Formats: sequence, structure tokens, C-alpha cells
Amino acid sequence: MLRESGILPFLLVAPALLFLAAILGWPLVSALLLSLQNITIIGSEGRWVGLSNYQAILGNPGFWKAAGLSAVWVVANAVVQTALALAAALVLNQRFPGVRVARTWIVLSWIVPTVVVVMIWRWLFSTSGGMVNPLLMSLGIIDRPIGFFGRPWTAMGTLIFINSWRWFPFLALMMLAGLTRIPDELFEAARIDGAGAFQRFRRITWPLLTPTLLVLAVVGTLLSFNVFDIIWLLTAGGPSGGTRTLPVMIYETAFKGYRLSEAATISVMATLLLMTFAVLATRWLAREADER
Amino acid sequence: MNRTPAWNIVLGVVVGFFTLLIGLPFWWVVTGSIKAPQEIIARTPTFFPHSFTLQHFDKLLSSSDYPVYLANSLIIASASTVITLLLAVPAAYAFFRMRFFGRETLYRAILLAYAFPSIVVLIPLFGMFVRLGLVDTLLGLVVVNAAFALPFSIWMLRSFFASVPKEIEEAAIMDGAGVFVILRRIMIPLIAPGLASVAIFAFVMAWTEYVFASVLIISDVKRPIPVGFAGIIGQYQIDWGLLLSGSVLAILPVVVLFGLVGRWFVRGLTEGAVK
Repeated sequence: MLRESGILPFLLVAPALLFLAAILGWPLVSALLLSLQNITIIGSEGRWVGLSNYQAILGNPGFWKAAGLSAVWVVANAVVQTALALAAALVLNQRFPGVRVARTWIVLSWIVPTVVVVMIWRWLFSTSGGMVNPLLMSLGIIDRPIGFFGRPWTAMGTLIFINSWRWFPFLALMMLAGLTRIPDELFEAARIDGAGAFQRFRRITWPLLTPTLLVLAVVGTLLSFNVFDIIWLLTAGGPSGGTRTLPVMIYETAFKGYRLSEAATISVMATLLLMTFAVLATRWLAREADER
Repeated sequence: MNRTPAWNIVLGVVVGFFTLLIGLPFWWVVTGSIKAPQEIIARTPTFFPHSFTLQHFDKLLSSSDYPVYLANSLIIASASTVITLLLAVPAAYAFFRMRFFGRETLYRAILLAYAFPSIVVLIPLFGMFVRLGLVDTLLGLVVVNAAFALPFSIWMLRSFFASVPKEIEEAAIMDGAGVFVILRRIMIPLIAPGLASVAIFAFVMAWTEYVFASVLIISDVKRPIPVGFAGIIGQYQIDWGLLLSGSVLAILPVVVLFGLVGRWFVRGLTEGAVK
């Protein structure tokens, strides 16, 4: 399938690579340089201060709190989204009237601008005219309206729900891809041997889907760590810093606090954390794949 | 496959759950946008609208720059789609149909670009764009959106290129066809569904992007929908009717696009995913 073609492949790859290097690579290098200076506002001159920004950040309890919230955010999103996406993918892999339509339109929540997602849910969760409070009250789950964004933990939980609502359909389609690769013959054979539906899931679907799930867990972790706009637009990191994850902290420090170098330092630390995770996870995945 | 009645009930319940989970919020937004103001904020919400009015749409179109935001969004999303395709297709062709030194490493580097935090890039990129004069231009946003869509787009094209039989390409090479002729005459027609899914992905990414647009665009007349919409939220006392009608107009173009080509996107995603 592959052929040697001298310099040609480089010419084909070069535009994309140079483009990415200029728009993503160079800013990353600049962030690194910025973190070693003490620049406050864009365009102002700074001095080189070595690693003192890093020292300051590591001693800042706000950074550790944000890192902890980011961890909570990533893990909770992974759990909620995987559960929803797996259920949706299993259903979309069945045959029922309208399945084609369902496969296309399940991603409706993902193709809509984030601001609109935010607006929709802010309205639905609001205490004036929102649908969620009356719904929960009529189901007997709560007895009076809740201000969902009023307290740190309910705000965090609500944000996790909204973000999962937006992203789970995308993951569901990727899982569906993994499911459609499992040969039907396996299920037929298991059925003939008298395996029930649950056993077929446990013995065939689950083990064969695990590699897909692991890859998605890594991709999903990276994706949800980076989520900023939903949090910023709904709670701006509040109440009392309860939803202030690392991306929110970076944005706030740079564009509200005008401490660019400090923001760059947090960025570099966040990138290091993520890259370490990505590299370890891919190594681990490769080893898992070898053992299978 | 035949199923027992019990399974059919479970299936029906789960399908119903997801239909409501995805559909219900949109139902409430669309119906809300045509309800009279006092019905929108009624203590007991109505499922079917009892009133009908177009006053929210009227107010939106006459008192804000919404049509301008729509036009900006369409320009930005279309242009970054085109750039993404122009960069992704040749690169994917080389990555997935040719052998060359450093291929694996370069491919990994591109995938890694997909992983790192976009917010990290925002600060230095702003400084860079100030110097290049790209702040407050649509071009600046086009470039940023294309860059963020590119890694995943290349990845998505993988299975489509892999599915083209090598004999076709070899025959063309025998006949002396150059690489661009092969790309244009053979590859592109054969991987058309893949191109469609990349195009939709890039379009949706640009259409929904908010953070970079909110920082890189300064003047009102250059705002795309997400920023213009957020501006409406801040500008007025919370006027739900205005926001709901704004949501409907922001959703409409992508829904129409997705209705036309959505099934190709789903095919591309499910065939290209995870490997």
C-alpha cells in the first residue's frame, strides 16, 4: 500500500505541519518564554526572572485548589459521559424503526454553539420559568425550587451534567464504531450455545469494546480538561471559587488580573500535567494492546 | 435478530429516555421563542405554547446586529472549512498512502497537537496577532479555527484513504499520472464521504467556537454569533424571549447543514474512529 516517493510526501505534509507549528507550536514556545519573565500586560516590557514564577505558583493554594477541581471535573465528566455514551451506543447498535435518524441526530447537542447550550440550560435551571425545578418537584425529588448555581457543589454538579450532555453523543458515535466492528457471528455462536443477553454483553461486547473505551477515556480526559467556555459563561468560576478549574484560573489571571507571566506559568504547568498524562496513558494503552 | 418482548420494552424505554434527554431542551427553546413574554416565565411551564408571537424575532432582528453576526459566522466557518480541507487532504494522502522518513513521528506530533490545552495558546497567540495585525479580523479567527480542526481532520481521513484499493493508484502511476492528478481524479472522488465529514467537523468547530472569538474580535460588526449572542445576554436585562429567539436563529443554519449532509458525518466518524 505504501510507496517510496522521495521528497514528495514532505511537500504534501509541509503546509499542514508549518501551519500547526505557527499557530499552535510557536505560541506554546512563547508561553514558555513568558513564564520566565515578569510581564503583566500584553506589549509591556519585562525582566527575566528565572523560575521564580514557578516557585510562586507552587506555593499558591489557589493553584492547588484549581488543580483539584480540574481533577474532580475530569473524573466526573469521564464517568457520566462514559455511562451515557455506552448506553446510547448499545442502543444505536440495535435495529429499530428510526435508528438511522437517531444515529444522525443524536449529536444535535454537539453541533450547537456553546453559548446557546449555556443559554438553554441557564434558562431550564432558572427559578423563573425553568423546567427543571417543576419537573423535579412533580417527581417528588425536591420539595422547593433549588438555586442550582448558588452553592459550589451544586454548581459543579450542574456544570458536569451540562458538559456531559453536550459531549456524550460524540463519544457515543465513537463507541458505536467500536461496536460495529464486533462480528455478528460471535453473538450468533453465543446465542446457539445458550448465552443470555447479559452474558453476551459481559463475555463478548465488554471485553471487545474495552480497547475502544480506553482510547476514548484518554481522548475524553484531554477534551474535558480543556473545557472553559461552559464554565466561564455559566458561573465564571464561582460561587466562591467552587468551579474555578485550571483553564478558568489561567483566563482570569491573564485577562482579568493582567498578570500575563503568571498565567503563562500556570499554562505551562497544566500542559506538562496533560502531556505527562497523555504519554503515560498511550504507553499503557500500547502495553495493554500487546498483551491482548 | 429477533428479540423477546421484554427486550423490546427495555429498548423502547432507553430510546425514549435519550430522545427526551436530547430533544426536550430543544423543544422548550423552540416553543419558548414563540411564546408571549409572560408565558415564558410562568411559574408552571407550559409544554405546548398557549400563545403565539413573533415579537422576539422581530425585536432581535431590528434592535441588534444579529444578521451581521450570522453573516460573519458563515464567512468564518466556511473559510476555515476550506482551509482545513486544503491542508488536511494532501497531508493525509502522504501520511496514509506513502512511506517516508519520520512519518510515524510527524503523525504523532500532529495528534499531540490535538491534546494540548487551547487556553494555553490564547495568551501568546493574542500577542502574536497584535504584531501581525490579525486582531479584530475575521481572517485571524479563520486561521485559528482551521488550526484547531486540522489534527482531528487528518485523523478522520485515515480510514477513507486506507479503503482505496492500491491497484487503482498503481494503474494511474503506470499511465504516468502525477500526484495532483491522482489526488484530483482518483482519490478525491473516492473519499468524498470522508471529505464531507471533515468539512462538517471543521464547520461545526468554527461555528461553535467562543473563547478565541471573544478575545480576538473587538468591534461589534465583526463578531460571530457566539460572541454577539453572549453580548446580548449581557446587554439587556435578562430578556428570555430575545435569548430564545436568538438561540433558534443560531441553531437553524447548522441544523439545515446537518440535515443535508449529517449522515455522511456520522459515517465518517464511525468508520474513521479509534484505531
